[in-house]
Formats: sequence, C-alpha cells, structure tokens
Amino acid sequence: MEDISAQTVGKRTSRVLGNWFGAVVKTQSFRIFIVMAVMCIVMYIISPPFRTASNLLSVAKNFSAYAIAGIGVTLVIITGGIDLSIGSIFGFSGVIATMGMVNFNLPVFPAVLLGLLVGTLLGLINGLFIVKMHLPPFIATLGMLSIARSMCYIITEGYPVVGVLPGFLFLGQGSILKVPTPIWLMAIIAIIFSIFLNKTITGRRIYALGGNEEATKISGINTDRLKIMVYAVGGCMYAFAGIITASKLGIGQPTAGNGYELDAIAAVVIGGASLTGGVGTVAGTVIGAAIMGILRNALVLLSIKSHWQQFVIGLVIIIAVILDQLRNTKK
Amino acid sequence: MKKLVCLTLLFAILAGGVLFAAGGAEKAAQRTIVVVPQQLGNVVFLPAKEGMEQAGKDLGVKVDWVAPVKAEAQLQVEVVEGLIQRGVDGIAISCNHPDALKDVLKAAIDAGIVVSTFDADSPESGRAFYAGTENYQAGVTCGEEMLRLYEGHPKKEITVAILEGIPGAFDIESRKAGFLDTIKGSNLKVVYTGACDDDVDKSVVIVEDYTRSNPDLDAWFMAGGWPYIVQPGAMPEMIKWKLADPDNHKVVTMDVFPSSKDFFDMGLIDVAVGQNFYQMGYLSVENINNILDGKPIEGGMVKEGFPGLFIDTGGQLVTPENYMAEFE
Repeated sequence: MEDISAQTVGKRTSRVLGNWFGAVVKTQSFRIFIVMAVMCIVMYIISPPFRTASNLLSVAKNFSAYAIAGIGVTLVIITGGIDLSIGSIFGFSGVIATMGMVNFNLPVFPAVLLGLLVGTLLGLINGLFIVKMHLPPFIATLGMLSIARSMCYIITEGYPVVGVLPGFLFLGQGSILKVPTPIWLMAIIAIIFSIFLNKTITGRRIYALGGNEEATKISGINTDRLKIMVYAVGGCMYAFAGIITASKLGIGQPTAGNGYELDAIAAVVIGGASLTGGVGTVAGTVIGAAIMGILRNALVLLSIKSHWQQFVIGLVIIIAVILDQLRNTKK
Repeated sequence: MKKLVCLTLLFAILAGGVLFAAGGAEKAAQRTIVVVPQQLGNVVFLPAKEGMEQAGKDLGVKVDWVAPVKAEAQLQVEVVEGLIQRGVDGIAISCNHPDALKDVLKAAIDAGIVVSTFDADSPESGRAFYAGTENYQAGVTCGEEMLRLYEGHPKKEITVAILEGIPGAFDIESRKAGFLDTIKGSNLKVVYTGACDDDVDKSVVIVEDYTRSNPDLDAWFMAGGWPYIVQPGAMPEMIKWKLADPDNHKVVTMDVFPSSKDFFDMGLIDVAVGQNFYQMGYLSVENINNILDGKPIEGGMVKEGFPGLFIDTGGQLVTPENYMAEFE
C-alpha cells in the first residue's frame, strides 16, 4: 500500500516538475539564458582567463549597475513606455549622494537615501509629465535627460566629487562571503521585482496596462497612478545603479552614465521585452545585461579592438529582436 | 483651465530660466572672450577654466566657458556658430577634430572674431595661434620614458597594453602615434589597445579586465589619465599586478590630476606626463586680448611647417621621485 502511494506521489512529483520544466523551457528568458550559456561555453573553451572565479565575479560586478537600471526600465517598457533619462538620473543621483557626504557632511545612509529620493523624484516628474501633461514618454524623458545632466554640471561645475566616506565604498567595492556587494544588491533587487511583477496585483496590472491600456482602464484600474508609480520606481532604480557606480569608483562624476540609457534599454530588449509593451521579465533583463557584460569582457580578453564593441552589441540586439519576432509570427 | 495654468507656469519657468542664465550678462561694450573645451565635465580641462577665469580677472575682460555636452565635433561646430551669432570678441577652442572645425573657425575669423586654439589644434583654420603641448611630442616623451624604464632589461620582448579614449580623437591619436613611432624597432611590443570612449568607469573596467586576464603583461601606456580620476580602491587588479613585480611592471600615463597623488603614494605610476592646462587657459585669454588691443602675441614661436604661432605651455614629467613637490 505504502509502495503504491509512494509511486503515485513520485509520478505526480515528476509530472509537476516536468510541467514546470516544460513551462520554463518555453519562456523567452530561458532562450536568452541558452544564448548566454553558449557564449560562456565558447569563452570557456577559447579563453582560459575567462573561467577564473575572479573574472566571472568581476564581469557580474560590472554588469550589476546596468542590470539594476535595466530592471527599473523593464517596468517602464512593460507599460509600453520608454525612459531616456536613465543615464542622467544615474549620474545626478551619484553626484547628489557623494555631495551629501562631502559638501553637507551627511553620514553614508542618509546620503544614499538622499540620492535615491532625488532619483525617485525625477522619475516621478517624468511620470507626471507623461500622465498629466499627456507628453509622449519619449519626449518627456528626453527632456529629463537634458535637465538632469545639466543639473549635474550646474551643481558640480564639472568637477568630480571626491572625498567620500570610507563606509560608502562598501556598496561598490565591498564584498560579502567573497562575492562583491553589487552582485548581492542586483540579486536582491531582481528577486524583489520578480515577485512584485509576477505575484502581486499591482505587478499583474503593470502587464495588463502594457498589453491593452484601454481595456485596463475600463476594468476600473487607475492606469495614471500606475504609470506615475512605474516611472518613479524606475527613477529610484537608475539612482541606485548610479550610487553603486559612484561607490565603485570612489567619486561622484557629473559625466557618469552618459549614454547608459541605451545600454540599459538594450539589456531589456535582449532580455526579451517588447518595446510595444506587455512583455518583459526581470530575469530576461538581468540575462540581457549579463550578455552585454560578457561581450565587453570577451572583447577585452580576446584582445579585440574596442571599435568592434558597439558593432557586436548592436548585432546581438538585432538578432534578439528578430528571434522574438519570428517566435511571435509562429504563434 | 488646468492645462492652461500648467502651460503658463511652464513658460514662466522657462522664461525665468533663460533670463537667469543670461544673468544680465550682455553688459554693453564689455570685451568677451570665450573658451571652448572639447566637452563639458571633462576634468582634464578644469585647470584651463581656472586659468581662463584668472586671466579674465587680471585683464578686466569678461570670460565665458562654453562647451558641448559630448566630445563631438558637430556639437562644437554648433557652439561656435552660436558664438558667432552672439558676436563675441575672441574664441579659444580645443578642437574635437581639426578638419571638422576648420570651416566654422574660418567663418568666425571672417566675422571679425579673434580665434586661437589650445590643447587640440586645427592648423588650417587660420587661427592666430595655438597654445598647448604638442600631443605628438607628448606621445614621444611617453615612448622615451617607457624605453628608459626598460633600458637594459633582459627580456627579449616587453609587452605593452594601451588605453585610449574615443577612437579617432585627434589629440589621443597624435599621442599614440608619437608613442608608437618612438618605440618602433625596440623590444617593446603593443599587444592590446582598448578604447574607453572617455568614460571613466569603462576605462577602469578595461584596465582591470585586461590586467586580470594577462598577469604576464609588462607595461601599460595610458594615452589619457581616465583611470587616475578614481580612487585606487576601484582598481584592485591593477594594484595586485603592479605591486607583484614593481621592477618589471611599469605604467606610463598622460595627465596628472590631484587624484593621481594617491596612485603615486602607492607606487602605481612610474611616469606621468602632465600638461599645463592652467597656462593654456590663461595664455589663450591673455593673447587674444593682446591681439584685440593691437599688441603682439607673447611667447609665440614660429615653427617650420606650422601655420600661425605656437605657444608652448610646456609639460611636467612627474615621477615617484618628484611627485611630492608637484602636488604641494
């Protein structure tokens, strides 16, 4: 009797696991993961330095900031929006946090909090312009790109902010259990946002908003509030990425994050999100950022001229989108 | 109604901003000399700004610092076009590209503006003078210093990695050319060139990644000082590599910043070739003012094959032996 029930439980378990595995395999994130795995295997074979733990940890540390900013813009892209102010908010928040310590003698935590608040506020302003003034997201965030970058130069007069508190360096240069802090932070944020998007009502509403805004509105959901929140959360994430980078380098730079918006959006697109909205995952974005990080690292390790870097990344973006379109056509 | 209020507010903010930015700046009849660096926020140019401001105070002329947000020639062309429209008296510019700026600088000269260049020249533009270090020569100096560091070294082949900024940028390419021409035929062999696009974070990533994966590398030549703007703690691999064999692992870099001192303290730089950007800013304003007053250009040299006058602002060779004096 016991044997029979054990067999039944075993069959059921394997069926559940099989279904789960089948579902995972079908996801876009898994396909992107396969691309990343293939890249890693190729690099593993042709470049011995690639396989060292220190190199892999360094690659992960370097793409952490892109991934965190990418997670922020993933939410925006899922709603069908776009945010071009990523790099400027990234730079401005890093400058604000470091100036908080250097110019206003704030301790580390309040300074970091100040940077995050400023990033959130700028994101909130983006959202308000889009929702209340009906500006297209492209235009509103393009304006913010210029405004925030300009503010970086105004408040620093172009000088880097030096003399941060030693405790601040832990965010970007420290490590826990030999794993660099930025990787832990990226993992924590990725888990939180994965749960948020998939397991909460608000998360599901964000997908609904991107899938069909009118239908979502008709069903009684306050889409305006949702959009404003998404841009504000995005701003907070770009700020966090900027603060981590400021900590990694030990300075606040007014030029930090220049052009990073395209890198973060590229990570999201490579990760399988659709720029038309309704589709996208946190896991996909993290893998997209990882692919870009691995590519950059590979070009250095293989001594390939940096001139090729943008070429290769551009090619990967186009291939990723073509594959996505083919998949959608088949459906 | 709500929209109307919002729009009115927006325009009010905008108009206020413009008026504030103008700041009553156009005080009639005051001579205005504008200095245009390659890019806003590039720390290399900040001493030039200080020199410009000091010259403005000393000479009693209005000086202005106008820069494109990115180091792009087209954006600089637009800046100069705006300055022509503004009717400024003098422009000193560090050109992102000599040919791309040539025509607009000619147009400025035709409009009666005194034009000079500093740091990065545009020789065919017809500018009155160039103030700065000769970038090719600076590269030659870096090459000579690298050769000196490895003089009599038993190794048959010394491997060198190069860090550059934006590929194709005139000043960096000139330095690279000077360096490569100098080490040609020696036992120094360039095995890698990485471009950081003038991005400090990327420069650190490139140096760290390459050093980690090539611990047997002998030397780094930094064609610009991007990695030395950060704290040394941002470059653990570089520190490990350099301190593992300081007698054989060498670093020669362009540029000296206040933050470079920490790297010298730790023995991470062997030679830094500093440029005198303060003098570039100061002498540019001073000599444009001289021309506007009908006086001769001070310190201008005639060089064979070099159009206009060359004002050598000199450079300093900073080494572990003399760096303390440099940073005092």
